[in-house]
Amino acid sequence: MQNILKINWKSKTNDWIEERFPESRQVTLNLKRIFVFPTASSLALLIAIILLFVMGVNFQNSLAYGLCFWLLALIVIAIYFTYGNLSGVTIKAIKSQNCFAGEKAVFEVNLSCPTEQKKSAIHIGWKDQDLALVDLNDSHSATIKLSHNTTKRGRFKPERLNIFTRYPVGLVIAWSYAQLDMQSIVYPAPILQNDLNNSQTMDDEAEQGLEIARGTTDFSGVQKYQAGDSPKHIHWGAYAKTGKVFSKTFVDYASHDLWLEFDALLAIQGTETKLSHLCALVLQYNQEQQTYGLKLPDRTIQPASGDAHKNTCLIALALFGDDRQKQQKPELN
Amino acid sequence: MFTKGFPQDRLITYSGMLWLLAAQVVVMLPFLFYLPIWLFPILFFSAGWRIRVMLGKAEQPGIMIKIIMGILGLAALKFSGIPIVSLEMTASFLMLGFAYKSLEVIDRRDGMVVVLTGFILIGVLFLYSQSIVIALYSFISVVVLTGAMIAIQQSGKQHSNQNSRQNTQSKIFSNLRLSSSMLLLCLPLMILFFLFAPRFQPFWTVPNAGGHAKTGISDSMSPGDIANLSQSDGLAFTVSFDNERPKQRDLYWRGLVLQHFDGVTWTQEDPETPPRQLGTNTSFTFKQPKSQIKQQGEAVNYKVIYQKTGRPWMFALNPVVDIKGPAGFTSDFRVMAKTDIIEPVLVKLTSYPDSLKELNLDETTRLVNLQLPESENPKSRLLAEQLFSASASKEEYIQRVMNRFREQQYFYTLRPPLLGEKDTIDGFLIDSQKGFCAHYAGSFVFMMRAVGIPARVVAGYQGGEWNQKGEFLAVHQFDAHAWTEVWLEGQGWQRFDPTAMVAPQRIEQNLEAAMQQEGSFLEGKVLSLNKMKWLNGLRQQLDSLQYGWQRFVLNFDSETQQNFLKNLFGEMSIQKTMLVVGGLFGSITLLWVGFLGLAKKQNIEAPEHRLYRRFCDLLAKKGVKREIAQTPEAYSQLAASQLPIFAEVINEFTHSYSTLCYNPAAAAEPRIHLDKMKSVLKQIK
Repeated sequence: MQNILKINWKSKTNDWIEERFPESRQVTLNLKRIFVFPTASSLALLIAIILLFVMGVNFQNSLAYGLCFWLLALIVIAIYFTYGNLSGVTIKAIKSQNCFAGEKAVFEVNLSCPTEQKKSAIHIGWKDQDLALVDLNDSHSATIKLSHNTTKRGRFKPERLNIFTRYPVGLVIAWSYAQLDMQSIVYPAPILQNDLNNSQTMDDEAEQGLEIARGTTDFSGVQKYQAGDSPKHIHWGAYAKTGKVFSKTFVDYASHDLWLEFDALLAIQGTETKLSHLCALVLQYNQEQQTYGLKLPDRTIQPASGDAHKNTCLIALALFGDDRQKQQKPELN
Repeated sequence: MFTKGFPQDRLITYSGMLWLLAAQVVVMLPFLFYLPIWLFPILFFSAGWRIRVMLGKAEQPGIMIKIIMGILGLAALKFSGIPIVSLEMTASFLMLGFAYKSLEVIDRRDGMVVVLTGFILIGVLFLYSQSIVIALYSFISVVVLTGAMIAIQQSGKQHSNQNSRQNTQSKIFSNLRLSSSMLLLCLPLMILFFLFAPRFQPFWTVPNAGGHAKTGISDSMSPGDIANLSQSDGLAFTVSFDNERPKQRDLYWRGLVLQHFDGVTWTQEDPETPPRQLGTNTSFTFKQPKSQIKQQGEAVNYKVIYQKTGRPWMFALNPVVDIKGPAGFTSDFRVMAKTDIIEPVLVKLTSYPDSLKELNLDETTRLVNLQLPESENPKSRLLAEQLFSASASKEEYIQRVMNRFREQQYFYTLRPPLLGEKDTIDGFLIDSQKGFCAHYAGSFVFMMRAVGIPARVVAGYQGGEWNQKGEFLAVHQFDAHAWTEVWLEGQGWQRFDPTAMVAPQRIEQNLEAAMQQEGSFLEGKVLSLNKMKWLNGLRQQLDSLQYGWQRFVLNFDSETQQNFLKNLFGEMSIQKTMLVVGGLFGSITLLWVGFLGLAKKQNIEAPEHRLYRRFCDLLAKKGVKREIAQTPEAYSQLAASQLPIFAEVINEFTHSYSTLCYNPAAAAEPRIHLDKMKSVLKQIK
């Protein structure tokens, strides 16, 4: 019961924050966006103030009274100074860099403030991630790189950025969020499945060009019968031995180029593993400056070479299965 | 709660560390006067270690080292002779921790602990002294502590690239500027709190701050004592009169009654007899036993601020009939503070100087005031008997003794010759005839008692310096004086001052005038402001400042508070108080918002666009309106054709604007173009 309430409350706050901090390319922090809270230090100072007050009362000491009220006023004015240190800061999304899953996606963000102001010790970052400390003193503008852990391939959109500062006196914290409109693409982690010799089959036949699966010309192997396989290709010998139906597979040779084929990776279990394997191969071929093509169940990329081609392939691998893949999305890099 | 999940650099930077150390030194420095000096080397030792660690030259001290040092420090405290349960011990303990803490200040939280302890230590310092100097010094301490608070929040990275020394220097100043501007902006709110926050009675009784030297008049008087006191130019107390000030010669500030004489020294009572048996001096009431006083003459109402003396004596015009403040009466018509005076205290008094005191003398008091050591001073006794037998009445006898001081070769001097251990009265009265007020008072009382007239020595101050500026009377230590009281049938205790016979200037003017010939006024104090006549104005100014400080800041108690608020705002109800406080608080925060520019609309628009907008507005007024989609060039052509007088400047303006917008080289140096645009705008206007 309690748990449910907690979750409800949490999601409600989240909704509220999302409503209050809509996504945009650029955010300027102002009264509507900045929260101000006392910190633990100000509570400690409050205890010291109470001590001074008791001292002032018990010893009838006017100066101790004065000091205690002065410090109290300091806490109050710290609210204004700390708020002032954050208000007017503009956060702008600059660009993002793609990465492989498990690595860190890097986002470039620009912070700036009006030229007649100075800002110090502003923290910006994501929870449990990179946290940058920015001063906007003489330059009034700073571009920083923030990195964020990634775990799985696909489009990666970081959560809200936290921006906070305790400057100048650390008694008060001014806090704000910015949901910047930026994303990066996370490629599958490049993991070569070494125990497989399948990749070599392609190398063996590199002389003849890249295989096109489900061809009819050359025998390439045996696979479990799938509906639609030609009866001509059924491996009767295997059927006699095992009682199971296997099809002989044949390949065509389209050209001399290498083909990386998702469907051909029969021995690898799991889509993600296959994608990781393909990703590793893309990197390998790119390094060897080979010409290669990529064939995914829903997309084919014609053989080519070079970094641009590599990126296209990696993006295709990253977004495999993504509904939005077909829509041409704005590339950030 | 919010910072969970934000592993940030919590470490204090090197400059933050130096700031903390500077703040520690500034806070500890004034304690040099009050606490053991060896606490300081500990600070420098641990700070030195810490700096070496930060520079990579030493290891972080291990836990064993910390424990050993802690034990050593505590042992040193134990053997320093400070009583265990005392304010001094608490302060020393706090200081010890404060000094040691710098050994392990690593992250911001440690730094904050140091700063907060510093604030509390400043409060402790106020228990020792509340003078203007200490207050001003503490102001600086608070600024430095706040500067340290800012420094530990700062990141340390800007240091690396530039000339680091210059950078550090400018950073120090910018930190100081920031902290002092914050604190100065706080002041109005602080004053608001100070004026309006309710004042409470002490929650529980507290030990007095120790280490207060006892100054001023003591409770015993040997012949040289008051002369020594006369060498001090310290302030004893200040007085402001509600009505007219009594004449200078009537300003006898009575503080102590010395009834017992052991041959050399006058004391309040026989030290051998327990005081309670006699029940004369130390019994203490909060109501003047009125029956003892036959009230006569005019009342004198006045306020006195007694400086700290570490003793409970209060000095007042005699007899006092009404007291407002932490003081009470004794049976011998003195006024005494409830506790030793360890900080300036304000008391309101009402006296009737012409009243008669104790018309019926009880037997115990009579005996006490006739006491004399046996078989000493034979010459004086003989002289007394001769004079007494020649007189028709007690009054005449008194007059003869007084006259003798005037007629014979007596000298009033601050450099009396030494008197022996025995027959001191003879030594002065018959032989040397040179003495200070204590000699005259002592021997006069001896002469009275020798023939059976009850008499006693009274110690206090006489006169004082009128401060025209502050309209108050400043009584200094060198105004200390001793005189006598003689009990006469039908008149009670009457004041007689034999010194007035020898040195009338002492009473009419002051000690300085009386000592002009001898030149012994404040002999030992070459640099005393009281000796430099040309600095009199400055000295009075300082006195006046101190008086105001003590009167209005230090003694701002609930009564003063109520009177003050009443004067300012009239009768205060709770609603009215809330309204006033709320209003003032609101205006203070408005002041802050204005100062920090928080309400200012932020200029995000670039200056060229702003100027162009004004340009369009101006032309629109002249009849050429710009369509939303119109390019600046097209608009310029249109405007130039319609307003041929301005054609040239319009083109110029548009050209500058386009250059700024589209030519990055020009945009780097925008000043020339902006100036041109501005001048064009002026022309069109």
